[in-house]
Amino acid sequence: MLKIDNLHVSVGGHEIIRGLTLAVPAGEVHAIMGPNGSGKSTLSFAVAGREGYDVTAGSVTLDGESVLGLDPSARAAKGLFLSFQHPMEIPGVATMTFIRTALNAQKKARGEAEVSAADFLKLIRAKSKIVGLSDEKLKRPFNVGFSGGEKKRMEMLQLAIFEPRFAIMDETDSGLDIDALKMVGDVVNSLRGQKNGKTARGFLVITHYQRLLDHIKPDRVHVLAGGRIVKSGGPELARVLEESGYEQFIEAA
Amino acid sequence: MTARAPSSPLETALAARMRGAPPLRANAFDAFLKRGFPHRRIEGWRWTDFNAALREAPGAPAALHETAPPLAADLAGLKPIEIRIINGRIDIPAAAFPAGVRYGIVDAVGTIPELETNPIAALNVAMTKKAIGIEIAEGVALAPPILIRHIGKGDGFSFAQGLLRLCAGSSATLIETFEGEGAAFHSHLFHLVLKDDARLDRALLCETGERAIIHSIFAPKIEARARFTQASLSFGSRLARHETHAHFVAPGAAVDLSSAALLSDERHSDFTSEIVFLAEGATTRQRHKGVAKDKGRNVFQGKFRVERSAQKTDARMTADALLLSDTAETNAKPELEIYADNVACAHGSTAGALDQNAIFYMRQRGLSDSEARAMLIAAFVDSAFDSIQHPGIAQAFRKRVSKWLEGA
Repeated sequence: MLKIDNLHVSVGGHEIIRGLTLAVPAGEVHAIMGPNGSGKSTLSFAVAGREGYDVTAGSVTLDGESVLGLDPSARAAKGLFLSFQHPMEIPGVATMTFIRTALNAQKKARGEAEVSAADFLKLIRAKSKIVGLSDEKLKRPFNVGFSGGEKKRMEMLQLAIFEPRFAIMDETDSGLDIDALKMVGDVVNSLRGQKNGKTARGFLVITHYQRLLDHIKPDRVHVLAGGRIVKSGGPELARVLEESGYEQFIEAA
Repeated sequence: MTARAPSSPLETALAARMRGAPPLRANAFDAFLKRGFPHRRIEGWRWTDFNAALREAPGAPAALHETAPPLAADLAGLKPIEIRIINGRIDIPAAAFPAGVRYGIVDAVGTIPELETNPIAALNVAMTKKAIGIEIAEGVALAPPILIRHIGKGDGFSFAQGLLRLCAGSSATLIETFEGEGAAFHSHLFHLVLKDDARLDRALLCETGERAIIHSIFAPKIEARARFTQASLSFGSRLARHETHAHFVAPGAAVDLSSAALLSDERHSDFTSEIVFLAEGATTRQRHKGVAKDKGRNVFQGKFRVERSAQKTDARMTADALLLSDTAETNAKPELEIYADNVACAHGSTAGALDQNAIFYMRQRGLSDSEARAMLIAAFVDSAFDSIQHPGIAQAFRKRVSKWLEGA
């Protein structure tokens, strides 16, 4: 489903991702672990299409179609979702209006029927209960005055509402307590089992810690260091990293 | 200082109209001629140079018998009492107001002392013979909004004056629109007296063509516990300056001023205000939001003057600008002049561009670049409309902002 082949990404003239190759088949969850500065966030921004993250070589395809060169909104409409490590506060923009406008923009781009205001209200009420955001929070301007944990819940709310084909979760676990980690696991696992059209969804979970992976069991774990994947393995690799650190693999890179 | 000779076609034409004028108007014209139209080297006019804009202006009055264009449907939907001032000619429909309101065309009045240093105000006093007068009787709550449409048509100059008086405990909503195409110069001078416990909510909407040169002054005198709110929305023009000069003359009154300017092409907007605090315990909140793209020019000048007699004044002012291009311009001058020692006054000013992080976030969620920008700009401007009491007016303002954003 998501295939990254020999990807090179430069930011401000510095090459950060240096020949990264990774394939996440439909229905699978892969985890990327790696030390600070290894290129984890650069990878997620480059795949999402952020300006300033220049892909100098390689390819990124979703369901066999290249996403490089597409506008970020077009990538979102194709079902690519990025859960931000540091979600934005957007003063003055009403939360419900923003999410509904975004959902309908995606649907419109896909040629699907838009969601009515009434149906959207039902949808967001149901999903906000799952992620633990109160009505009062939904009435505020987007993320304004939210704690770090609440902002992550807002990311999970959008994940639950958009039901993307493929989600990249960039350190979603940072700032979350144990109950919230379980909630993230519930949201991801409920989507993971669902079929969207013909194929199942995929996830790329970027994290430093084993603890989120206790709730989201990865099919594969990859170690990112120096801008490329230096080691891949099964779920047991995450435990090895937690116990012995990244050093052993960085030297190998 | 003696009056100099007229130095432009416009000044010559204005001087010709002064033959046989009574002393009050003749003196006012002398006061104007001493300075001429204000220009960039004069304090307070640095960013709004009327002299330069009017140097080539036609030396003829605007035609008096133009007709008004149809009123916008949403404003008509507010069922207002509609008064038109077309190129300076006052047009009040018969039996326009319900009982409790006296109105008509009255002799124009002089200016308040603070305005005597303002050459355009002096010129307005010199040129204007008749004014519109509206008085709302004690305790009357006028339900339909009063709509005064300032319509400029064709080229040439015009002058208008108004005198509004809200007696004790009365209340009203006033909408003023500035409309019309053409390269005309229009000057407006309105006085308001708000007696004890009276309330006026004023909305100003400036949506003229790009060649108009507009100067307006609104000068409220605010008595005990009275309330004055003003929400303004301007899309600018060749030169559009809207001044507010408020005086708190008795204790416990409140003013709330909001303004927003959305400027494209080479349009210019100037909101200038001075609030003079003379009595105890007045409250003022003021906010300005300016958005400029292309070569748009946003100007805000706000001043609070708190006299020694005005203890316990509580006044705050903010001015924020959003620049959408490298060639857009913003100029802000917030000022505090405080002579009382027991007051809480603050001002702040910001200028910046749209938040690129927010734009990327919104695009990642599916919005196009232009949709994301429009949503952020609307959000930036919208807080200027929070204090509008009349939902229909707030809606009319927001609709116009959306329309402008569609073109942005």
